[in-house]
Amino acid sequence: MQQRRELDQVYTNRKLLNGQLDTPKWWLPTVSILGVVVLIGVFVIATMINKGLGVTGLARPVYWGLFITTFVFWVGISHAGIMISAILRLTQAEWRRPVTRAAELLTVFSLLTALVFPLIHAGRPWRIAYWIMPYDVARGIYPNIRSPLIMDPVAISTYLTGSTLFLYIALIPDLGNLRDRTTGWQNAMYTVLALGWRGNPRQWKMQTVGGILLSALMLPIFVSVHSIVSWDFAVASAVEGWHSTIFAPYFVIGAVHSGVSAVVTMMALMRWLWKWDDFIRPEHFDALARLLIVVATGWLAFTFLELTFALYGQDAPEIALREMQMFQWPWNMLFIIFFLTGYAIPVPMWLFKRVRTNIALMFWTSILVNVGMWLERFLIIVPGLARRTPFVYTWEAYRPSPVEWTIFIWSFAWVTFLMLLFSRFFPLVPLFEQKESQVFTDDVMIGRAKVPAIVREAE
Amino acid sequence: MTNEAVAHESEHHAPPPNVEADVIARELIATTTGASGRFKAWAWILGILSVVGIVSLVVKFASVGDDSTKWGYVAALVSFLLSVAGGAPMIAMAPVMAKANWVRPITRLASIFSFVSVITLIMLIPLVAILPPLVTEGARRRTIWYLAPDYSPHIWGIAGLLLLIVTGMMLFYSAALPDFASMRDHSTGWRQRLGKRLARGWVGTDVQWRTLRMRIGMFGTFYFLILVFVNFLITTDFGQSMVPGWRDAILPMAHTVSGFQGGVAAVVIALYFSRRFMKLEKYVHLDAFWSLGRLLFALTLLWIYFFYSSFIVFWYGRSENDIATLNHQIKGPFLPVFIVGMLLIWFVPWWILIWNKVRRGTSAMVVGSFIILIGLLLDRIRMFVPAWSVPGDQIHQKWLAETPAAYWPTIFDILIMAGGISSIALIVMLMTRVIPVLSVWQVQEFNLLSKPIKYVRGHATLVAKPD
Amino acid sequence: MATAEFGSHNWGMVVDVDKCIGCNACVIACQAENNIPLNSQDRVERARTISWIRVERYWEGDFPDAKARFIPIMCQHCENAPCEPVCPVYATYHNSEGMNVQVYNRCVGTRYCANGCPYIVRFFNYWEPVWPESLRNHLNPDVTVRSRGIMEKCSFCVHRIRRESRSARSAGTEIADGAVQTACSSACPTSALNFGNFNDPDSKVSKMKEDKRHYTLLDQFGTDPNVIYLAKIDADKKVGSGAAASHD
Repeated sequence: MQQRRELDQVYTNRKLLNGQLDTPKWWLPTVSILGVVVLIGVFVIATMINKGLGVTGLARPVYWGLFITTFVFWVGISHAGIMISAILRLTQAEWRRPVTRAAELLTVFSLLTALVFPLIHAGRPWRIAYWIMPYDVARGIYPNIRSPLIMDPVAISTYLTGSTLFLYIALIPDLGNLRDRTTGWQNAMYTVLALGWRGNPRQWKMQTVGGILLSALMLPIFVSVHSIVSWDFAVASAVEGWHSTIFAPYFVIGAVHSGVSAVVTMMALMRWLWKWDDFIRPEHFDALARLLIVVATGWLAFTFLELTFALYGQDAPEIALREMQMFQWPWNMLFIIFFLTGYAIPVPMWLFKRVRTNIALMFWTSILVNVGMWLERFLIIVPGLARRTPFVYTWEAYRPSPVEWTIFIWSFAWVTFLMLLFSRFFPLVPLFEQKESQVFTDDVMIGRAKVPAIVREAE
Repeated sequence: MTNEAVAHESEHHAPPPNVEADVIARELIATTTGASGRFKAWAWILGILSVVGIVSLVVKFASVGDDSTKWGYVAALVSFLLSVAGGAPMIAMAPVMAKANWVRPITRLASIFSFVSVITLIMLIPLVAILPPLVTEGARRRTIWYLAPDYSPHIWGIAGLLLLIVTGMMLFYSAALPDFASMRDHSTGWRQRLGKRLARGWVGTDVQWRTLRMRIGMFGTFYFLILVFVNFLITTDFGQSMVPGWRDAILPMAHTVSGFQGGVAAVVIALYFSRRFMKLEKYVHLDAFWSLGRLLFALTLLWIYFFYSSFIVFWYGRSENDIATLNHQIKGPFLPVFIVGMLLIWFVPWWILIWNKVRRGTSAMVVGSFIILIGLLLDRIRMFVPAWSVPGDQIHQKWLAETPAAYWPTIFDILIMAGGISSIALIVMLMTRVIPVLSVWQVQEFNLLSKPIKYVRGHATLVAKPD
Repeated sequence: MATAEFGSHNWGMVVDVDKCIGCNACVIACQAENNIPLNSQDRVERARTISWIRVERYWEGDFPDAKARFIPIMCQHCENAPCEPVCPVYATYHNSEGMNVQVYNRCVGTRYCANGCPYIVRFFNYWEPVWPESLRNHLNPDVTVRSRGIMEKCSFCVHRIRRESRSARSAGTEIADGAVQTACSSACPTSALNFGNFNDPDSKVSKMKEDKRHYTLLDQFGTDPNVIYLAKIDADKKVGSGAAASHD
């Protein structure tokens, strides 16, 4: 453990507000390039809506492909925020503090991106109004609430609303801070957004209570979102490889695995781009990697159970599907990459403290995890559909078209673009959390050893 | 107040550690002697019940023989014992994982439960003997032993449980070394001789401490892995594979987690009674109950989550498999048992434990824990009794064509279950006579690592987190 | 099989696999009747054909003792249809006459129903349908032309049922047995496909389905189809060997 450093508040303010008060030089060129990629993506989406889904690689019986995979992937990433902010807040893990804001932000933006995919993958996206909103009440036709596809938008929009509130509540003290340091239109904007924040005890109390309440309320939503996404698949009893009772927790723990890894990727980037070496420290990576070891191993156990119980029935179609998924080209290659990147490479590496505290290695291993987790979703969704059904009529493979790949790339550019745009106006590391952690941590002498300690509320 | 001041003050107020540690050792070791009359009476009652239970098991085995449809309640009991006795020691490895301070004093109490697994093994032996063969009428029934030899479930079931017992005892023993040394130094009579023999020359050198921590971490992790594995074996070989068409991938995990729930509940109960009757209020802080309460609350919610996850997939699936499973597990003759079990393992404790006030105290917590254990037993009965009542000539079919009628317990079943449950309490009670129920060195460590401090205008605790 | 609780009609089909000669007349008839776009080479290659009914061919045995087996497969109009509960907008639902119907106007094209269907008889319109100029005037005016982005499937020629029930109502009579014929069943030269009302115990199909050769496709999914198959009779084999597609 490194020695704890005392950071004075002026330094903290200046350093953490550098995105807003003096924008770095790389910001504008990067955002512009990303903006171009985003525009290209929007154009491709518009073309696809104009021409029809024929431009994708989808073919019977693979009716869901890259879009749904990417949708599940982004919903998975969105589990980062609440995992870091709410669960670690309720379990009082001190190291969460500098990364909470970025994690919540990732939640909001990845959800916004995820939401796009089911909509554009629909055959007639201009008609989705009565899918998502019960506007047909007047005609006596509600949306079919038995369908997981109705529960999906409900859960995701609730999650999005909650996460946005959560993000905003945590942002208010920092907005007050920014208001006091800006002039002109920026000052006006922060004044409106800060809701009259003065930092008096009552406001602090309400802000804290709001945060804790939202944490507790968001937890069930957090679990429900990916569970419901998994039920999109699990309720289909006719698709071998989908109809498994383990799907809900399996998806949730996989989502946490990929979400927390994405947070690690983002922390490394933040540390490099804004030079926040004093705030995002190796011990934060260390703690996240320890968490990831546990989560990843749990996830591996779920993967193992999923496979075991797929074969447990010893039904010919199920065995044929698994053979295809694991041993037939090109699925076998994907499966090997999935296993190596999702678990076999990163987790053994994280067992060494040297790796856990090495930011570059953590950056690359966390990216590997997300490659693996994307492939995991792909390997669940597509082979499940492309399986050899009892009818030879429909034995077909699926190859994503360039249109699908472009939209896939667009989603990454879009999330990064939104993050960078946000960083121009709002601090990515919560200032008040950072300062609070300075107050709540301490060193105590036990015998001759100096041991880090934290302050806890007395019972 | 600045940080320096806080640190300074806490240092200043720290009691001289050695003196305090001595008192802790003496007081805690004193609790092993001088059992009250009430304690002895209860030990006798529980002991007789346990013996009657085991005798009934033998009688049942002799009279019913290998009719597997009559053994459901024993299977449920094995599952219950595995849950409680297997789940409780998990608390003993928590500090290694989460560096949680509150858990340190009670790890001993939790790891004592691993001795109960011996009873689980005794109860499992007749089940293994009458487990239907993998191949019936030329057809292989659904198991995890796809092409493995016929005797695989029998061998692995016993081996897994044996391994669990050994690892659990190693976990107990490796953490108990310093306490045996304390007994050697502070106790008299047979306890001193026992301490001398088992302390194995413990003097507390640096190397010894490092080895000790490494061992706890190693056995703890290993114990966890084996526990998951044994849960997996018991739920598949002695549950799912008895029913054609019951294919529930989440069951091993759900079983492990609700087992952990039962284990924590059992630890709460044991902690409550030992705190009360051995006057340990000084060492078992309300903090521990608060944290155990939160853990229990979270596990209660996990139960319903896991249950619902599997339920909705069957409910929507509507294939013959799914419908048969639902009829068999839930809608069948055990529907009342299921409903009461669900209320007791999830709804009622959830509603009790949700209140901060409850978790700050002890009495409501202990009531909630008892309710959870009853709910757990009913849940296990609902899971395993219907499974074992499937006639032997049907278990290799594709799905269950007809839900078998309910099998209600005979007097032997009741006696066996009463005996098995009594043995949990009995073994824990007897172990408190052998070794201090709170780990002496961990209590000492707890006092070293957490200090009450004054903080701004209130009180707080400064908790050290060593690496 | 539906009960009478819904009404007097429960439409269904009995497919006598023993009579099927694999001539594909039903496929062509269906294609023409229901305004299904032409399955061009490109669409076949990309597995994007639409054919509400198809005749699957299986080979049994090795050359020279090989035997061709045929089985016509169309929407099974399941009583317990996996496609129905998953549709978020009720574009597919079960009507009171035992049919699984598709409401083209409601459909937004999530394709969830197609994933749920074990028989793979639901089809998606990837493109706006086009016909060669010469066929423009051959479209059936009774049947909606489906736009791109929606699902479609066998409708049991619902427009023919409606036409018959209208004329029966105006004549004040019941629909006579055999009065409604689907395009495929009327085109079948060997009467392998038989359409009728299962709720009428005297109807031809009701009697046919009592045959001991009867089975349903993929019964392990518990879908309870309204299309009943009668097994192939083979001189060398026992009854039931015609269930080539019922996977075991």
